[in-house]
Amino acid sequence: MKIAVAVKVVADDQDIAVAGDRSLDYSKAKPVISTYDKNAIEAAAQLAAATGGVADVISAAAADYDAKTKKDILSRGVEELKVATGLPETADSYATAQALKGLCEGYDLIVTGEGSADFYAGQVNVQLAAALGYPVINEVTGIEAADGKVIVKRTLDSEVQTVEVPLPAVVSVSPAIVEARIPGMRDILKAGKKPSSAADVAVETKVSYDEILAPVAADRKNQIFDDVEAFAAAVAEALK
Amino acid sequence: MRVQKVQILVDCAARRFRPYCLGAEEKEKNMAIDFSLTDEQELLVDSLKEYAERYFGDEQAVNDMYAAHQVPAEAQDAYRDAGFAFMGLPEEVGGIPTDHVTLGLMTEKLYEFTGCMTPFMTGMLGSADLAEFGTPEQAAVIVEEYEKSGQAVCALCLSEPGAGSDNQGMAMTSTKQEDGTFVLNGQKTWVTNGADVPYLLVICKDESPARENNKMSLWLVRRDAPGVSTAHLSKLGQHTVPFVDVFFDNVKVTEADRVGGEGNGWMLLMKNFEFERCLVVAQGLGLAQAAQNDAIAYAKERIAFNKPIITNPRVQGLIEENEMILQQSRHWLYYCLWKLDQGESINADIAMLKSWGTRAHLQVADNAIEVFGGLGYTDEVRVGRIWRDLRGNMLAGGTCEVMDYIAGRAIPKWHKYK
Repeated sequence: MKIAVAVKVVADDQDIAVAGDRSLDYSKAKPVISTYDKNAIEAAAQLAAATGGVADVISAAAADYDAKTKKDILSRGVEELKVATGLPETADSYATAQALKGLCEGYDLIVTGEGSADFYAGQVNVQLAAALGYPVINEVTGIEAADGKVIVKRTLDSEVQTVEVPLPAVVSVSPAIVEARIPGMRDILKAGKKPSSAADVAVETKVSYDEILAPVAADRKNQIFDDVEAFAAAVAEALK
Repeated sequence: MRVQKVQILVDCAARRFRPYCLGAEEKEKNMAIDFSLTDEQELLVDSLKEYAERYFGDEQAVNDMYAAHQVPAEAQDAYRDAGFAFMGLPEEVGGIPTDHVTLGLMTEKLYEFTGCMTPFMTGMLGSADLAEFGTPEQAAVIVEEYEKSGQAVCALCLSEPGAGSDNQGMAMTSTKQEDGTFVLNGQKTWVTNGADVPYLLVICKDESPARENNKMSLWLVRRDAPGVSTAHLSKLGQHTVPFVDVFFDNVKVTEADRVGGEGNGWMLLMKNFEFERCLVVAQGLGLAQAAQNDAIAYAKERIAFNKPIITNPRVQGLIEENEMILQQSRHWLYYCLWKLDQGESINADIAMLKSWGTRAHLQVADNAIEVFGGLGYTDEVRVGRIWRDLRGNMLAGGTCEVMDYIAGRAIPKWHKYK
C-alpha cells in the first residue's frame, strides 16, 4: 500500500512570546512537527510496514523546511518528503487542502492527524477528501489493510465502531491510535540521505486574518473565602 | 581557581586522527572553535528528551526505581531500541560509530533530562571495552545479549578490597591448570551493574598475586558460571545503579575467554580511563544542571516577604555561582572530549577537571538545596537525591586525590626549561 501522511510544521508554542501589545513574537520559536501529526506519521509508518508498502510525508507551507526539520520528519519511518510551498503564513484549511491535493497522486491512502497544534481546526482532512473526491473518516483509533480497502476502528463513548472504507480514501487518526516513536539514532543518521522535494503552488485562500493577538490577561481578584459553600457559589456564578 | 592553558588547532585538516563525527559533513572543516551542534546532534538531544519524559517523567516512578534498586526493563529496552546503547560502538558489533564529543553530549543530556542515575553510562563503557579489546567472537555477545534485553551486557570487575587505583596491590589471580585451562580466584568490589549483567569483564594477575608481578590479563566470564557469586553493597546514593562484591571461587576459564593479550590487561584498560573520567564528569554535569533547573524554577515560584525569592540577591548569588560552575565545567569537558577526538592525551586535563568538576557539581546540588530551604532537605523534591548521587561521582573512576596526584605529576612536564 502507498500511503501519504499529511504533516504540518508549526512554531514551537512554548517559545512563542507575547509582546506588550498582545502581538506574538515567533523569533525564538523553532519549527517543530505539529504534535498530533507525529502519531499520524507513526500510524502510517506501521501500516506501511505491515503491508510491505511505503509511507511518504506530504506538507504545505510558506517555504521549504530547514534541514533539521526535514531530518526530523524523515527519521520517523517514512521514505520521502514532498512539500508544496508558496502558501501564506496563515494559510487556511481550504488553501492547505488545495495545495496538498496536488501531492496526493499515486497514493492509496492519505492519513492526517486530528488537528494542528496552532489552529486545531481539524478541517484539512475533510476539505482534502472533498477536493480529491475521496471518502473520509475521522477520529480513527485503528487501521488495518484489506483487499482494496482499509478497516478502521473508531472508539466511541460506549462502543468501538468498525468501518470499512474503500480506497483511495482519507483517514484522520486520533492521537490515541499509537504512540509516536522516539527516533532512533540509525533513523536520524539515515534521514539526511532520504529524498525531499519542494515546489511552489498557486492556491486561493478563503479566509484571511486581520491580526492575531493573545487574549487580554484578566487580573486575579485575590478573593479569600472562609466558607466552602460561598466559594462554590462564587465559582458557579463566575462560570455562568 | 585553576586556569587552563588552551591551545586550539587552527587547521583541522592537519589533524592526524579524525574519527567519524555525527553529522560532521555540515560543519565547517576549518573552524577554529565551533560550539554549534549538527542537526543530527540536535535530533539526538530531542530524542533523549522524549525518552526521558516518557520513562523518567513521573517523579514517583523514579523514586520507586531508587527503592527497587533498578531501572525497569521497559525503560532499558526502550534505551536500546532508540539506539542509544549502540552509540560509540564499532559497526562490527552492531554499533553506531561516533565521536567522543557526541558521546559526552549524549551522557550530559541524558542525566540532565532524567535527573537521576541510570546504569546506561557504565553499561556503554563495559560494551566499549569488550568491543575494542575482544575477539570478534567475544564481541559478538554484545549483539546477542542486546537482542534478548536492553540491560547492560558486561560489567568491569577492577577494584578489590586491597587494590583500586593501586593496581599492583591486586590479589586476584588466574592459575593455569595441567589441562591447559585456568582457574580464577579472588574478590572484586564496587562492581557497577555486577549482579544485573550476563557477562563480567575481569582483570586479575597472571599466576602470582605478588606485588612485583605486573602481568595482568582480562577475562570474559559469564556471571552465572560455577563459582561466581555476588553480594549487594548498600550505597549512600545512586541506588538505581546497583553495585556488588563479586567472589570468584575456582572459576574455570579457557584461553578463548582471555580478552586481549596475555599479561597486558591493565595496559588495555588504561586506554579508556581518560574517556571514562570524561563521562563521569558529563554525568555529574547533567545531574547538577537538573538541580540548577529545579532551583531556578522553585525560586521563581516561591513567595517570601511578598515577592518571589529569585529577586533576593543572596538567592541570585547561589544561582549565579551554580551557573559559573556549570558553564566552566561544560566548556572544559567539551574541550577534553574534542582533544580526545584529535587523538591527543588528556591525562592531566581530565584528571584536573574530574577533581575540581565533581566537587563543584556537588556544590551546585548543595546550593540548590539551599535555595529550596527546609524543603530541599526532604524527599519531597529531588535536589537532595541528586546531591547524594553526585557525591559518588567524586569517587567513581578514581578519587579527587588520585586525580590531583596524576595532574600534579604531569603539569611540571609541560614546562621544559633550557
